[in-house]
Amino acid sequence: MPSIGEQTPGGRFRRQPGVSGGGSLRYAEFVLLAALVAVPALSRDAFFVDRIGRFLLLAVFALSVDLIWGYGAMFTFGQAAFFGGAGYVAGMLTTREEWILPVPLGVALVAAVAGSALLALAISYFTFSGRGALRGVEFAVVTLAVAVALERLANAGGSITGGQNGILITSRLGPFHRGHSFYLLAAAVVVVTYLGLKRYLRSRPGLVFRGIGQNEERVELLGYDVPRNKRWTFVLSGAIAGLAGALFYVHEGIVSPAAVGVGSSTLVLLWVVLGGRGTLIGPVVGAVALPFLTARLSGTLLDTWLVVVGVILVVVILVIPAGIFGFLAREKTP
Amino acid sequence: MSVLAVEGLTKSFGGFTAVDDVSLMVEQGEMRGLIGANGAGKSTLLHLIYGRITADRGSIRFADVNVTRLPVTGRARLGMGLVFQVTSVFDGLTVEENLLLGALPKEPGRSDPVDRSEVGRVLEVVELSGARHRHAGNLSHGEKQWLEIGMVLLSRPTLLLLDEPTSGMTHAESRRTAELLHQLRAEKATAAVIVVEHNIEFIRLVSDRVTVMHRGRVLADGTIDEVQDDQTVQASYLGRLH
Repeated sequence: MPSIGEQTPGGRFRRQPGVSGGGSLRYAEFVLLAALVAVPALSRDAFFVDRIGRFLLLAVFALSVDLIWGYGAMFTFGQAAFFGGAGYVAGMLTTREEWILPVPLGVALVAAVAGSALLALAISYFTFSGRGALRGVEFAVVTLAVAVALERLANAGGSITGGQNGILITSRLGPFHRGHSFYLLAAAVVVVTYLGLKRYLRSRPGLVFRGIGQNEERVELLGYDVPRNKRWTFVLSGAIAGLAGALFYVHEGIVSPAAVGVGSSTLVLLWVVLGGRGTLIGPVVGAVALPFLTARLSGTLLDTWLVVVGVILVVVILVIPAGIFGFLAREKTP
Repeated sequence: MSVLAVEGLTKSFGGFTAVDDVSLMVEQGEMRGLIGANGAGKSTLLHLIYGRITADRGSIRFADVNVTRLPVTGRARLGMGLVFQVTSVFDGLTVEENLLLGALPKEPGRSDPVDRSEVGRVLEVVELSGARHRHAGNLSHGEKQWLEIGMVLLSRPTLLLLDEPTSGMTHAESRRTAELLHQLRAEKATAAVIVVEHNIEFIRLVSDRVTVMHRGRVLADGTIDEVQDDQTVQASYLGRLH
């Protein structure tokens, strides 16, 4: 019988497989990710490739939601605050002409990501700390309130936010602003984010965060500092959404109040649900496939495309609540 | 040397006093059984000791530290480990990941290496080596309970608290759990154990001393034979079991 009371020198903590689900997905997800980012680049249609590049940035936005909701069970209605908020910061810093403004785009992008991270830190300070720490629906309501408040603020911001018209962003992403080069930039961001999150989720704090998503009280009873872990993962999620948002809206050339609102925050949830939360690859596919499908259908089914998209979503949610890749990654009971 | 010293512990919920002026000493190397009828206050006492609920009065000293007002995370880091009546393993994580969550350092910023061979040994002790990469949610109830014991053991607890560990287990699983606790003691994997149970046969198998609780108070304290012979205990608790 083995003994467990004695200490022996052993190997270091090694990274664990299975963050993205069962073995069947372990390699398939990389093949799929590679295909998703490589195949469109072969097209000569610059407009098409540019559009897929936009969807890839939306996929990064979806990954930021999947991190906290899919793995940490922190349901949020306000993730667009970081995504759209970064667009506003980038827009304001590059277009206003006062004080030290405008600043170079690189500085504005860094400031936009930092701004989103700071906003996430501020929200987490009030929601995760102390005896009144919020979970579940309470947390979702707070994020909803943040989204509503920011949308109103953007609307009422006058010359600072551009009011209802938003801000026209005239800066360009240098040689990466359009077509294939923009696509390559977006593909690089999604791949780096994807692999970075995979690595994080297999790390020690990532394992603790996944434990929190499964059973927060058990993690606390084991002695871990749950609020601290949630706070920094939420900040990471905000920064990722901020990076995606800043690039997305600079590429769009305009950011308006809807960018920070509940509508945008809800849309990203649909992509995550469709693809399968807690799988990483699922939200990436959902964020590319659903907007792609929407764009295609809106061109052919002028009046009924929304109904068709709605029916697809309802069927997926009813038949496979775990989403497409959540279903594929499930572990079969022996 | 006592691992745990509880003195005059009292807890009321509204007008109901669940734990009433309870004092208890648990010595190094001891396995203490805590029995009593439903509502006697056993589980409440266990959760007061662990800090999931706060005492109205009294004190708890653990490892020579007054932990009466210390939150659960602080008590866990000092060396208390709790295994729930309803298993609370991480269903969506693999068996090995569950154990790693027990083994990792709990203090922020610490990055000590984890002894993987010890994780492997615990997997063998709780007889889950073959399920290492399976999701914990696919284990049987008994296996989940052993996994939870393994997870808590890897945090190297000085005091292991078990809340009705055999609840829902088969007879064979209960006997295996008793063997597991004896093995842990033989290997000094934990300094002391407190077990709350209804299963008297299990208590007889694992306990050195037994504390009987009745209506929030300690009714009797002694070896299992002493408390079984106690007239008051027979009248108020054990008599009902036969």
